[in-house]
Amino acid sequence: MFCEKAMEMIRELHRMSDGQLPAFNEDGLRQVLQEMEALYEQNQADVNEAKSFGRSDLIPSIKLRHCCLLRNQRCITAYLYDRLLRIRALRWEYGSVLPANVRFHMSAEEVQWFGQYKKSLASFMRSLGEGEGLDITQDIKPPKSLYIQVRCLKDHGEFEIEDGTVILLKKNSQHFLPRWKCEQLIRQGVLEHVVS
Amino acid sequence: MFVTDIRKDFYEVVANQRVALLVAADIDALCACKILQALFHCDHIQYTLVPVIGWQDLSTAFLEHKEQFRYFVLINCGANVDLLEMLQPDDDSIFFICDTHRPVDVVNVYNDTQIKLLIKQDDDLGVPSYDDIFRDDEEEDDGSGNDSDEGSEPSGKRRRFDEGAIERRIERQRARREWEARRREILFDYEQFEFHGTSAAMMFFELAWVLTKDTKDMLWWAIIGLTDQQIHDKITHMKYVTDVATMQRHVSRHNHRNEDEENSLSIDCMRISFEYDLRLSLYQHWSLYESICNSCYTSSSFKLWTLNGQKKLREFLADMGLPLKQVKQKYTSMDMSIKENLRDVIEESSNKFGMKEIRIQTFGVHFGFQNRFLASDMVHATAALLESTEKEESDIAHNFIKALDSLSRGNLDRLHVGIDHAKRKLLAIQQTVASCICTNLILSQGPFLYCYLMEGTPDVKLFSKPLALTLLCKYLLKAFVHSTRNKRCKLLPLIMAAPKDVEKGTVIVAGIPPESETSDKKNFFGRAFEKAAESTSSRTLHDHFDTSIIELKTEDRSKFLDALITLLS
Repeated sequence: MFCEKAMEMIRELHRMSDGQLPAFNEDGLRQVLQEMEALYEQNQADVNEAKSFGRSDLIPSIKLRHCCLLRNQRCITAYLYDRLLRIRALRWEYGSVLPANVRFHMSAEEVQWFGQYKKSLASFMRSLGEGEGLDITQDIKPPKSLYIQVRCLKDHGEFEIEDGTVILLKKNSQHFLPRWKCEQLIRQGVLEHVVS
Repeated sequence: MFVTDIRKDFYEVVANQRVALLVAADIDALCACKILQALFHCDHIQYTLVPVIGWQDLSTAFLEHKEQFRYFVLINCGANVDLLEMLQPDDDSIFFICDTHRPVDVVNVYNDTQIKLLIKQDDDLGVPSYDDIFRDDEEEDDGSGNDSDEGSEPSGKRRRFDEGAIERRIERQRARREWEARRREILFDYEQFEFHGTSAAMMFFELAWVLTKDTKDMLWWAIIGLTDQQIHDKITHMKYVTDVATMQRHVSRHNHRNEDEENSLSIDCMRISFEYDLRLSLYQHWSLYESICNSCYTSSSFKLWTLNGQKKLREFLADMGLPLKQVKQKYTSMDMSIKENLRDVIEESSNKFGMKEIRIQTFGVHFGFQNRFLASDMVHATAALLESTEKEESDIAHNFIKALDSLSRGNLDRLHVGIDHAKRKLLAIQQTVASCICTNLILSQGPFLYCYLMEGTPDVKLFSKPLALTLLCKYLLKAFVHSTRNKRCKLLPLIMAAPKDVEKGTVIVAGIPPESETSDKKNFFGRAFEKAAESTSSRTLHDHFDTSIIELKTEDRSKFLDALITLLS
């Protein structure tokens, strides 16, 4: 059947519905393009024959092949576009450096597109706040509180914040700090968020 | 200097700054810390909390943090010693001290720039006036006091004037010597006795009230802080009753919304109530029988370490009509008919058996269907957690954090663990008291009673911690007073020594004032220990914030004691 391969590619994407990016299906794409080429050539031949010999019984098969071509085109563009949307979401989730296994699944052109998207997002963020810049990828949901209470789990030594103040992180000391300063350390396991 | 307007001079000063909180390790300090943390969370004041257990800890913490912080808040530490001399801070560091230890060191009182005392200027502070202690130095440069100077002054022409000058100088020196003698006397009287003032938790609750940011949680913590002072015998009964009245006003202010029948609060909301409840520790979380056996008041009144005492206890229970089976069950499973009038029934019977003060004014909290706690339960539980000697939890800062957490309503499992520890601690105290009295371990040394816990005593590790040791001292003294026939011994104070660190070979020594109805809880052992240690050059460590608790090398024990005996007789 025509367009089977294209459907398969769509189904593959549909299976991984929670935003994961499967490997770029180069093979499938090539097969679909080959199928489209074959269909196009057959159509060309038939159209020439129909025009020159006036054979109107070829017209339905020409129409069928044309529909298949359009369908293949639609499936492939949908496949490519959906992948781009997923890659865009990755920027918001992971930040500007993607983990290696995700990058492995992207084609060279997708990597290039990602680079350009990063650049345009960065220049947009820089232009916010009257030239000061605002990182809108943080705090996508409004946080419950600006400051959180954290407890230090291990001796980390001195920790410097943007405005120059230094905090000594000693084991079992508790601190009350702005949320964004602590997030990285919480992820590293040095601090523990205390909810009481 | 004393802070008069706590909102303006303390809270608004630190409002946009980062603050370091140095908190001592006792329950009152923990409660005060919780209240202050809640206030800081409200107003987004960044802080760093560091637990400190002694003077060395305090100095280390200060050294580590002095570069980063300008404002330090010290809770239950720092008032009774010359802080500036001990810490040597830079000129722009400011210390806010909220401490119950009295007497407040005179340098701290009269320093205007760096030390701010968050203490009420009660009548009983008795700080000597400025002129009695400090004196301008002009006279001192003048007569540097050496007779040799006068001798080396030149020639004959000036001699007549010299005589007048010499006389005046001698007169000045004599006046100064008199003034210095008087000063020493005044300072000695002032610093001789150590006692405690208003709870730090109550001070911070008042701050919250002035800012109208007080909540029921903060009120409950303030009540726990006050109860801690009463349980560990830090304040007199009169003061306790006065402070309870103050707290009761706050409680009724917070409760007035409940009285309306139509708008009653959900069962999960926190309700604090004033209770005139029994002086039985943890009785609602234990069985009544166990609680009676292990509470200081009842066990010493009945003398439960004797057979006679056990008999009397059974008579007491029979008198009240409580079957043994019921009384030995967990309190929550006791018959409802018994629980209903329990307090009144017990009060009536205890009057017959000579216990006139079985009931005491206190507060209880109630949230949810199952959670009902008295303030004294919380104090025992948190103290047990703070000084827990379990293997995994031997780190002091770790215990501090655990105890601090147990005070929050959301950490009930921790509180229940604390209650279990507290039960074991009370049992251990009771058994130790019984064995000490039965084996006559308490010796009268003349001016005081002395008891030494040997290394092999069961649960002796529990008593290497200051709070547990003071509780043991108090119970032991009470039991001793009830059991001895010697009238003179009943009026003596008690010194207790227990092994602290077997590897280093040290013991912890604590002294408490004599037991009496009208005791003013003033403890002179702080100074006495210092003097005795100096005179015998014993190796002591006066590290604890309460000067009446010290650490001593085991070998120096006997000469230290002898020095004390000579000092105090």
